[in-house]
Amino acid sequence: MAKKSKSVLVVGAGIAGIQASLDLAEMGLDVHLVEESPTIGGRMPQLDKTFPTNDCSMCILSPKMSECARHPGITLHTLSSVTSITGDPGNLKCRVLKRAKYVDPVKCVACGLCEEKCPVKVDDAFDMALRKRKAISRYFLQSIPAEYTIDKEHCLYLTKGVCKLCEKTCPAGAIKFDDKDQEVELKVGAVIMATGIDAFNPIGFGHFGYHLYKNVVTSLEFERMLSASGPFGGHVVKASDQKEPKKLAFIQCVGSRDESINKNYCSSACCMFAIKQSIIAKEHIKALEPTVFYMDIRAFGKDFDKYYDKAQNQYGVKFIRSKISEIREKEDGTLKLKYSLENGEIRYEQFDMVVLSIGLEPRKNLEALAGQLDINLNEFGFCRSEAFKPVQTSRPGIYVCGGMNGPKDIPESVVAASGAVAGTLKSLKIERQALAASDGESGEINVIGERPRIGTFVCHCGINIAGVVDVKKVAAEAGELPNVEHAENVMYACSSDCLETIKQRIEEHHLNRIVVAACTPRTHEPLFRETIKEAGLNPYLFEMANIRDQCSWAHMDEPELATSKAGDLVKMAVAKARNLSPLERLPIGINPKALVIGGGLAGMIAALSIAEAGHEVVLVEKDKELGGHVRKLYYHLSGKDPQALLSETIQKVKKHKAIELLVNHEIQQINGYVGNFTTTIHSPKTDKETTVEHGAVIVATGAKEHRPSEYGYGQSTRIVTQTEFEKMIHDQSFPKGRLRNVVMIQCVGSREPDKMVCSRVCCSDAMKNGLELKKVNPRADIFVCYRDIRTYGFKEKYYTELRDKGAMFLRFEPDGKPKVEVQTIDDPNSKLTVTAFDPIMEKEVVIAADLVVLSAGIDALEENSTLAKMLKVPLNADGMFLEAHVKLRPVDFATDGIFVCGLAHGPKDMDETMAQAQAAASRALSFLTKESILAEGTIAEINADLCSGCGYCEEVCAYTAIEVNPETQVAEVNDALCKGCGTCVASCRCGALDLRGFSNKQLFSVFNELELIKED
Amino acid sequence: MGKTFNPKITAFLCKWCSYTGADLAGTSRLQYPTAIIPIKVMCSSRVDPVFLIRAFLKGADGVLIGGCHPGDCHYESGNYHTRRRFAILQSIFDSLNLEKDRLRLSWISASEGPKFARVCNEFTDKIQKMGPNPTRKNMFI
Amino acid sequence: MSKMLTTDHGADKSVVDLLRFLLDTEKVSGVLTLRKTNTSGSLDYGLLTRSQELDRAVPLMPVMPANAAQSLSLITPTQKPIAVVVKPCELRGFVERIKREQGSLDNVLTLSPTCGGVIPLDTYIKKSKDNLTKDYYKQVKAGEIPESIRPTCKACEYFVPMTADITVSVVGEQNLDSKCRFILNSDKAVSMTEGFGSVENGDLDAKILDDHLKKREKEKKALFESIKFKQDGLDGMIDVFGKCIGCHGCSRVCPICYCLLCDFESRNFDQNVSLFEKELEQKGALRLPPDTLFFHLGRMSHMSFSCVGCGQCTDVCPADIPVASVFKKIGENTAALFDYVPGKDVNEDIPVLVFKEEEFKELGE
Repeated sequence: MAKKSKSVLVVGAGIAGIQASLDLAEMGLDVHLVEESPTIGGRMPQLDKTFPTNDCSMCILSPKMSECARHPGITLHTLSSVTSITGDPGNLKCRVLKRAKYVDPVKCVACGLCEEKCPVKVDDAFDMALRKRKAISRYFLQSIPAEYTIDKEHCLYLTKGVCKLCEKTCPAGAIKFDDKDQEVELKVGAVIMATGIDAFNPIGFGHFGYHLYKNVVTSLEFERMLSASGPFGGHVVKASDQKEPKKLAFIQCVGSRDESINKNYCSSACCMFAIKQSIIAKEHIKALEPTVFYMDIRAFGKDFDKYYDKAQNQYGVKFIRSKISEIREKEDGTLKLKYSLENGEIRYEQFDMVVLSIGLEPRKNLEALAGQLDINLNEFGFCRSEAFKPVQTSRPGIYVCGGMNGPKDIPESVVAASGAVAGTLKSLKIERQALAASDGESGEINVIGERPRIGTFVCHCGINIAGVVDVKKVAAEAGELPNVEHAENVMYACSSDCLETIKQRIEEHHLNRIVVAACTPRTHEPLFRETIKEAGLNPYLFEMANIRDQCSWAHMDEPELATSKAGDLVKMAVAKARNLSPLERLPIGINPKALVIGGGLAGMIAALSIAEAGHEVVLVEKDKELGGHVRKLYYHLSGKDPQALLSETIQKVKKHKAIELLVNHEIQQINGYVGNFTTTIHSPKTDKETTVEHGAVIVATGAKEHRPSEYGYGQSTRIVTQTEFEKMIHDQSFPKGRLRNVVMIQCVGSREPDKMVCSRVCCSDAMKNGLELKKVNPRADIFVCYRDIRTYGFKEKYYTELRDKGAMFLRFEPDGKPKVEVQTIDDPNSKLTVTAFDPIMEKEVVIAADLVVLSAGIDALEENSTLAKMLKVPLNADGMFLEAHVKLRPVDFATDGIFVCGLAHGPKDMDETMAQAQAAASRALSFLTKESILAEGTIAEINADLCSGCGYCEEVCAYTAIEVNPETQVAEVNDALCKGCGTCVASCRCGALDLRGFSNKQLFSVFNELELIKED
Repeated sequence: MGKTFNPKITAFLCKWCSYTGADLAGTSRLQYPTAIIPIKVMCSSRVDPVFLIRAFLKGADGVLIGGCHPGDCHYESGNYHTRRRFAILQSIFDSLNLEKDRLRLSWISASEGPKFARVCNEFTDKIQKMGPNPTRKNMFI
Repeated sequence: MSKMLTTDHGADKSVVDLLRFLLDTEKVSGVLTLRKTNTSGSLDYGLLTRSQELDRAVPLMPVMPANAAQSLSLITPTQKPIAVVVKPCELRGFVERIKREQGSLDNVLTLSPTCGGVIPLDTYIKKSKDNLTKDYYKQVKAGEIPESIRPTCKACEYFVPMTADITVSVVGEQNLDSKCRFILNSDKAVSMTEGFGSVENGDLDAKILDDHLKKREKEKKALFESIKFKQDGLDGMIDVFGKCIGCHGCSRVCPICYCLLCDFESRNFDQNVSLFEKELEQKGALRLPPDTLFFHLGRMSHMSFSCVGCGQCTDVCPADIPVASVFKKIGENTAALFDYVPGKDVNEDIPVLVFKEEEFKELGE
């Protein structure tokens, strides 16, 4: 048996690296997260909004960033890079270079005074050089860790030996000019690479005039312009005259789908990116007229087509299918675009501003890194992953996720990250984690029944607070407040000596509530809670007054008013503290077993991943056989054999001791909650019922091929679906001997008004089957009637290949669909014609078809709704399971302990399915590996005497965490599921509900304190 | 009396978006009036309309609720509930000719420091013009 | 076209006959109806199981001693079928309660009249009953709005029951004393009345009801104008609610207020002495008991969109505050935000429990 380790290295701290690290750390592993830049977060912080929900990127990311930084299982190495990896899986030695920061991160309080004083201006990479930063800087204002670093290339002292202004200014003495690079060696069991992706640099490319014409910008620059925290505060203006643009053009595929620069791949995200930007820009500037110039709109993801539709019909964004041949700048900065339409007609149009939708490409240093680490790259310079091994590199023990092995959007990166985690587990030592001893409440000072004795600490934060607020006065006033036994000023509340002071004071004065007036609780509350816990107090007996971020920094010119406000904030915090009670986080036992519903590829991979990590799995399949949809697939674009994969996987599942296989069984009932589910499974054959207890559920129930009612399907044996065609090729049995003309029609049952969904795989399937047909019958003529060819990512080259092999592509609009005519219905030899409009020739084409192949889309299963009700999880409008968050929680449901993967979630190809199945397994394991988890402390509680059982709370809860017990007619809170938002509390008419930690009484006491301040 | 009127505005800010946006306004050193007194809540949907009524009747010159943008709620749909409840309360104030402009709902994301500062400036300005809340002096509440 | 059953007796007697029929044929095990408590003329709702008890029943009497919605919550869900005769607003109130899990219409046969309005309790108790009802019916038969009824009844547009199994035609029925028409709105109504009389196609007279509706709408406009506060805003509120003695009777009798203990009577909003002292310091005076406006505004935020405008609150107010008129006006506005009609449909969601992603776009700037 290979050696196993408890440590793992993750390289790259973008969203993929963060997700992988969190998953691993939650399984009790020690994670080293290495990041080249000074902050974690990667690309996402640069984004303003995310498609297709227009979620604020930073809003959804920052909680994950803090979670990652705070997690005891994760060690961050920022400004670091991995230089070599030696050894075998389970026993890898990694050398990591930690570059000098020249600022002591422990001492730095991120006040920013150094940056103010620093004389050297440098282009700000985070803001795409649209503004300047200084040679000492914080990467961006919400970066984590929140520390400043010196850019040694530009620092005057480090380059020329003069200046040191920062050192003189720093109130915390954090500047460390003698800092040195260090190399450390880490022993780990496995490595996950997530170094991300770069954007194409369009300087000098394609006559687009980037960097020559003022008003031509890249999509990334435009994104920063749109961002409220960007260089222009979200106000989009032209560089030429600082005025808002009226006409805005997006040019797609800049640096993508271009064989001439060895980029015969699609960057996958830019279409949606442009659609998003056009919508957001239009929201900023009402009179804006955005136009998108494109080849194909590739809105292939879940709910993307609806977004595209919204852009066209709700926001009036114009879409023009054409290639831009030239851009000229006029004197006033206006840009004249020359482009040709499909029919060859040349047009000119003027725009105020042009956004180049730049493609995604491998990181600049990837080639060198791949050499150092001995991993292979593919033909385009991305990390190479074989088909059916979506998260593996060529080197055993090293896994890959995110954009490193191909263009991906955010959810795909997150899926790949969790998927890669599942891959590493066989080299890692996973043990059931008991609750840490420190999580117990033992030894806690009992404060119940005691009157509040509050200790108040008012922080100077150097001059950050004290420079504006009269902190002495604030502390003195605090000392006079009822129940405040002790109040003092401290220089840096978060410094380790001050934390010691707090602990001492607790003992000296028998303090039982602590108030710290300092910076923001978002970053520092956990630290102080930990501190008072060490002193024996329940961590919830703590309250913070934010007198820096929301006072001294925001009122720098009004010291008196700021002091008075700080006084108010302290009074309010004291009032809340007075009413605080100790909260308990109840342990919830977790059953280590998993239930996987569905025995297709997704379900089998998920089950295997969990079983390989040492957990028992019950795998339920309603059919007699395992395999699901893949049973119908014979070819794969890569040339690999899906059937071989399938039988190999089935064998593994059948052989694995930890997997209990229940084929020909169906789910009858599911009760319970995370860690504690009870499921009844029924066998229609024997009519017997089995009850299984388990800790997590993975939904992998699949979907089905759309059964066409259009294009004469069913009228002739020569009108078939794509999967039927695939079987024909495989069996070499065509209904009419040798085929001459084969017409494929795309988007059958997809992208229709009542089903605005792209089935994602049909375009690639058409290429695949087209190429396979060409192999067995090179003389066959293939016609593909399509709306947009959506061969995203590396599938683009197969589109090129099929085109090169002579296939004809005929584009159609929804109102000009091709017509299929069968002369004599049900006659196998009947004449079959397809009439289509060719937009290039601008005329109708009539094709005598030997075979019509319908690319039928993917439909959700009707029975999803039954299962969704049992699990109390939602479906989207198309009947697919709806994940908790389309970007950052792509395999989770809002309800803990339930996960989804495969076609049940939405259309996807085999590799994506496998990655997602592994991801679902990882996410489930992050619960299953724990003996118990702690419920939140801040949760709703019910006063049963007051509850009228009206069910308001049940209706508004997004987590099924509160339900009215039908017996007692009283609502009951499920501590395990409650997230503590308080929606139910505010809905409760009877005042029966309250939120621990934010109770009515606490909140009232806080604002009562404020309102009654004497005015004059 | 000749004294300047210093309004007091209670600002209930959701922990995930608006409170973070308020922090960012500070980190970015954007300046806004001291009238704004933040109170952190887990979600804007924790803010029972009754809190607003209470604050209004107790003399708060203005009450602000800050939440994540629709669709961005950290708790799936809390802010949609906030929005409906707020619409109801506003309608009640409207029907009674109470000063509904003393209540304000704003969607402020974690990256919208500038918006937070702008909302604070605008709202304080407006309240400044409206003058003190009459409930401050009226014994009948 | 609905099914209709016509009898050759006056409406009150016909309804009693039907109830008797239902009890005697054991189609129901009990009936809820208004009845005379004693010979002195006081009224109450009674749940009756023996047909001789029906001798004192006056199911259509235009009086509301309690809003029956509250009582229905006490006796449902029921295993044994019952029939109930309630006013349209009582039925709507009950539908609102059902949405709040406070009862069920399963096994309940609902009868409700097209309602001429309800005479305030005070009037009914103090005045000569014979004259009162005589005048009342004279106007109802003529399709007029009786003078004696509650102000909110005059202004009520929902006098045709919305979800009743059986509608008893009253408003505008010239021959109310000699004939009675039952409209059977549900299959349940048809099967339960089988054997009671012959059924034909028929419906309420749309023209009469429409004319009547116009009169009510006019009254509503006048009512809403009449309750415009003398001064706007806070002073106006004080004008109206200054008389409030804080008995909370309005919420006790309200069909929508289902809470076991009203939030505003709980300890949730209690203040301690030091807070009172602080408040005194600022204002120099304090009203006691406190929180009068807080109670009314709070209650509006809790239930106004579900207010069915029955008027029970005004009836019981010892301080003569036109509570119902104010709440009806506020409620119409809050319900209108969601095109919500309280009590119309048991499957319609309560506005505060659901949302649409695309709504109130103007909020949040």
